[in-house]
Amino acid sequence: MNPFGDLALQRYLAVGAILFVVGIIGFLTRRNLIIVFLSTELMFQGVVVNLVAFGRYHHNLGGQALAMFLLAVAAAEAAVALGLVVLLYRRRGSIDAEAWRELKG
Amino acid sequence: MNAAVKILLPFGPAQMSGAAIVSAAAVVVLCAAAALGTVLLLPGAREAAIRKIGGGVLLAAGAVLAALVARGSAADPAGPFFWIFSALAIAGAVRVVSHTVPVYSALYFLLTTLATAGLLVLLWAEFLAAALVLIYAGAILVTYVFVIMLAARVQAECDTHSREPVLASAACFALLGMLLVVIFQRPAVSRGEPAQTAADATPALALELFGNHVVAVEVAGVLLAVAVAGAVIMGRRGAPPLAPLAPATRQIIGDDNPHNIPVYGADSARRPGA
Repeated sequence: MNPFGDLALQRYLAVGAILFVVGIIGFLTRRNLIIVFLSTELMFQGVVVNLVAFGRYHHNLGGQALAMFLLAVAAAEAAVALGLVVLLYRRRGSIDAEAWRELKG
Repeated sequence: MNAAVKILLPFGPAQMSGAAIVSAAAVVVLCAAAALGTVLLLPGAREAAIRKIGGGVLLAAGAVLAALVARGSAADPAGPFFWIFSALAIAGAVRVVSHTVPVYSALYFLLTTLATAGLLVLLWAEFLAAALVLIYAGAILVTYVFVIMLAARVQAECDTHSREPVLASAACFALLGMLLVVIFQRPAVSRGEPAQTAADATPALALELFGNHVVAVEVAGVLLAVAVAGAVIMGRRGAPPLAPLAPATRQIIGDDNPHNIPVYGADSARRPGA
């Protein structure tokens, strides 16, 4: 049985942090709305790794239970976000986020 | 009390005394290099050769970080699968963000999902790994590919140009640098609990979900139902705006062709006199 110590936890937290930050970069820089929402899913995956690693470290299943709810929220988010993308595409004929610049106010 | 203060103040002098797995200076240098590589790699008005250089810089930064982590945690070495899965996950994530063709981005996201599921198996979360593959690779990704096929058939300018890559990379890698510096410090307190066995992870998760969190499970179901209803309402093709009818044409307009459906309207081509 392999123990799961501090060093192992730190490795997994680093992977989760890198996934999350790569997702933020995609969210901020990409202009295609579909890729923007795909980047949020990347951020979700980093958070899942984080939660499950902490759950393993602390020997309880709260992390995994929270990650299950996170999956449900991610599915709901994907459905609503893609519905919005289709709606916006029908209005403007483009999925460029810059096509909606006037929303900045 | 002292330990609590040490946890709350991770930048305290007791923790910055060179005891970190990867030193803060190395993290800062690597993050700066990776930010530079990211700026070069992100799609923009640059040639493919420059983007490849950016990818190389990013790859080198990741490899150096992995080597430093492996050296710093030599007391508790990770198995080969951890390195394989995390390298695949991070490389796939970078390609999702940097690829200019949306379909390829979606496929690299599939790679990231499968690698993350591998990491979850290493963390004894077998059920969650299976759920991740089913939900992400099976449902969410298929939805994304559908929308890409619907809306992004031609490569547009929005795929080949990034918005503020320098600013975003600088801010995000500053965040990553701070996260990694804090993560890689030696913990002030170490926990010494016995390890649990992995054999009963899934039934235990079921007991946890449907015992302690049963109301939340139901609420999650309601959330999914609401999201589906909202997506259907948003995606429905709305009625086109109606033109006001002139009084003289308020009549059924039709012709002798039985296949033509009689229509109400002003300017119909099927009007007999027109």
